[in-house]
Amino acid sequence: MENILQVENLSKHYSGFNLEGVSFSVPKGTIMGLIGENGAGKSTTIKTILGLVKKDSGKVSFWGKELSYSKQFKEDIGVVFDDINFYETLTPEKAGKISAMAYKQWDKELYGNYLKRFGLAENKEIKTLSKGMKTKLCIAVALSHKPKLLILDEATSGLDPVMRDDILDVFLDFVQDEEHSVIMSSHITADLEKIADYITFIHKGKVILSKSKDDLRYKYGIIRCGEKLFSQIDKEEMLAFRKEDYQYSVLVADKEKAGRKYKNAVVDSASVDEIMLLYVKGGQAK
Amino acid sequence: MRSMVLKDLYNISRNVRSIAFVLVVLMCLIPTTGMGGYTFISAIMCSMTIITTFSFDDSSKWTRYALIMPITKKELVTGKFIVLSIFCLVGSVFGLAISALGGILLKSAEFDVKTLLFTAMSAFLIAISAGALSIPLVFKFGAEKGRILLIVSFAVPVALCFGVYKLLEFSGIAITDGLILCTPILVFIWCFIMYRISCSVFEKQEC
Repeated sequence: MENILQVENLSKHYSGFNLEGVSFSVPKGTIMGLIGENGAGKSTTIKTILGLVKKDSGKVSFWGKELSYSKQFKEDIGVVFDDINFYETLTPEKAGKISAMAYKQWDKELYGNYLKRFGLAENKEIKTLSKGMKTKLCIAVALSHKPKLLILDEATSGLDPVMRDDILDVFLDFVQDEEHSVIMSSHITADLEKIADYITFIHKGKVILSKSKDDLRYKYGIIRCGEKLFSQIDKEEMLAFRKEDYQYSVLVADKEKAGRKYKNAVVDSASVDEIMLLYVKGGQAK
Repeated sequence: MRSMVLKDLYNISRNVRSIAFVLVVLMCLIPTTGMGGYTFISAIMCSMTIITTFSFDDSSKWTRYALIMPITKKELVTGKFIVLSIFCLVGSVFGLAISALGGILLKSAEFDVKTLLFTAMSAFLIAISAGALSIPLVFKFGAEKGRILLIVSFAVPVALCFGVYKLLEFSGIAITDGLILCTPILVFIWCFIMYRISCSVFEKQEC
């Protein structure tokens, strides 16, 4: 499958935080979820990909070409940050006029349709809109210049489940076109479990895993066992483990193999949330 | 770049009434400053508004967003200088209009079209010189510190003008009409230097 975005060994050093060797790719027609705890490096990764911060090393290729930040390249990328970037006294109408002057590909009619679909009044000041409506306005602006790649940095954080569901439907619609892709960073792993095709997990500035969601869902597993069985588990198979009150939880990459090998153990499927928690709060045997 | 200018004009449009109010209040200084002095005050006041546009940008994290649009850092800086020119022009024209109106109403001896136009042009040049210095300072230190540095940015052009005047006087060079006509060129060069410094400062910044 052709990649819309390829990130290879991306590094950025700050005092107190390093983004190290981040690599992942986003195939066309898919949604990539970026997960990780606060300060893990998700936003830095997105900013570095977009050229908002200068990378120290590594390679970022969009549509097979190394990043050039040309105007056309920017026309094809829609970005939604965690908060609205239009000043609060502006209205959706004015935000549209400003964007129309910036983007050659701007489609006024499409923008009007999104405003209607999202129930946004054209002349209402941004400061009077709820957080969810502001996010919808940002999405309307991002989609109205007909991008091929939509990048969302914590865009759905702080929204209620109904609003999030509406917005996730928009993203699913967007990737119906096989030339389109979405990169979405979020703390809300349930959203990503619902819509993402791939998950990239960043922890302390490093990519812990970048896999298809189905791999995580159907192959990864968690062995629930006591201390005796825990000591018998091959350390090479342990991706992460956590000692809880009465048992150990051990993350493994192949739950069927683990089930066959450790017959007395209970092997559950692993949710994205559990995988993240085990890596962040648990220990690594290897 | 046009979108950046439009954005600043839209943002500041909400402040027009308060700026106009301050300008009206400042009219009480006319007996002290004279009509000409008021034109300078009006132009400089409007020029200072450029800092407010940076504050709006900061509070909405606009710069980060602007850079994901098909806009270069250079275009963003150019937009700020265009907005500054518009503000200075509006301030000078407003000052000119009030001076002209005052001159007509009070039948003042100062009411001379040529003098008024010369004063308005001088006010525009001083205001844009000061505003042009404030832009790289705000890019470097941010809008909040930039407000404090306003004093520097408005004092420096005045001090420079005074220094040049004294130097010419000391050298025995008479200030002729020809020399005065060179001023717009000098101001243009000054603004261009400030523009290049702003571009250089902003180019190094990460958002």
